[in-house]
Amino acid sequence: MYIYAFGSVCRGEIDRYSDVDLLAIVETQMDTLNFNKDDYSIYSESRIRELWDEGNPFAWHLSIESKLIFSSTGKDLIKNLGTPSKYKNCTSDCKKFQRLFEEAFLSLTNSCDSSIFDLSTVFLAIRNFATCYSLGIENRFNFSRDSALKLESHPLKIKSECYDILKRSRILSTRGKGENFTYEEIIGVKDCLLQIKKWFEKFKIN
Amino acid sequence: MSEFNNRISLQRTVIKITNSLGYRHQLVGISSKAIDRWVIDNKIDPKSKLVVKIKEISGQLFFLANKSQEQITESYRKLSNIVSHLVDELKEEVEKMLNEG
Repeated sequence: MYIYAFGSVCRGEIDRYSDVDLLAIVETQMDTLNFNKDDYSIYSESRIRELWDEGNPFAWHLSIESKLIFSSTGKDLIKNLGTPSKYKNCTSDCKKFQRLFEEAFLSLTNSCDSSIFDLSTVFLAIRNFATCYSLGIENRFNFSRDSALKLESHPLKIKSECYDILKRSRILSTRGKGENFTYEEIIGVKDCLLQIKKWFEKFKIN
Repeated sequence: MSEFNNRISLQRTVIKITNSLGYRHQLVGISSKAIDRWVIDNKIDPKSKLVVKIKEISGQLFFLANKSQEQITESYRKLSNIVSHLVDELKEEVEKMLNEG
């Protein structure tokens, strides 16, 4: 069993939204029962190896930004796995996250019943899209929570208040932390969605 | 649609059904922390059928995250059946609550 810290804490990217991301790599399904899935991302060793072979962005993320905290074997599995394969699924991943945005956009347009969840999904879509695009097209590592703002080509430019609401909604819907939203905040951020839609359309993903 | 997007879509369905109850604070996610927050904000009985059902769905939807790729197709098929059954049960519970006023 291996335990790693990864993400913002390893980048020194600390803000009021920061949390400590922990990864547990286990050998068997039974081992997963020892971990609280709210506190850990839990992967089997075989799945981690698959991610490396796929050149999955998460594998690149871990290879660049993770720190070993505990190893039951005395070895550092991630270090020993070396460099992940070249990232091959950039096009399909980017399209997937663009579709994810479109579904959230449609839901937000049609009803208010899941508006905060939908805003949270918008944030997930722009962040993951930007991370995949940076790795696959720009050949850059951009694993920041704010990866969309840090793209080389077409960084996302929306009002910071809107961006902050998207970010807050993501924290609220996953970690259950943060202030609840006012009606005005939700309406305000809906105005930025068209800008985000146009931002996605700037990228030529084939 | 990808397995990932499907899972998000299922979460949205659960959230829309639940929020049709009109609680002051919306359910905004189905991670257990988001559910706990919603329960506290709205002073809902954590042992109610409604909460237990949502937590059951939550457990199923997050179950796949750590499965290896080879297992996903079969697991996802099984999971879809389990989750759609649970979502039907949630709908029934919500309709019952709405009818009882």
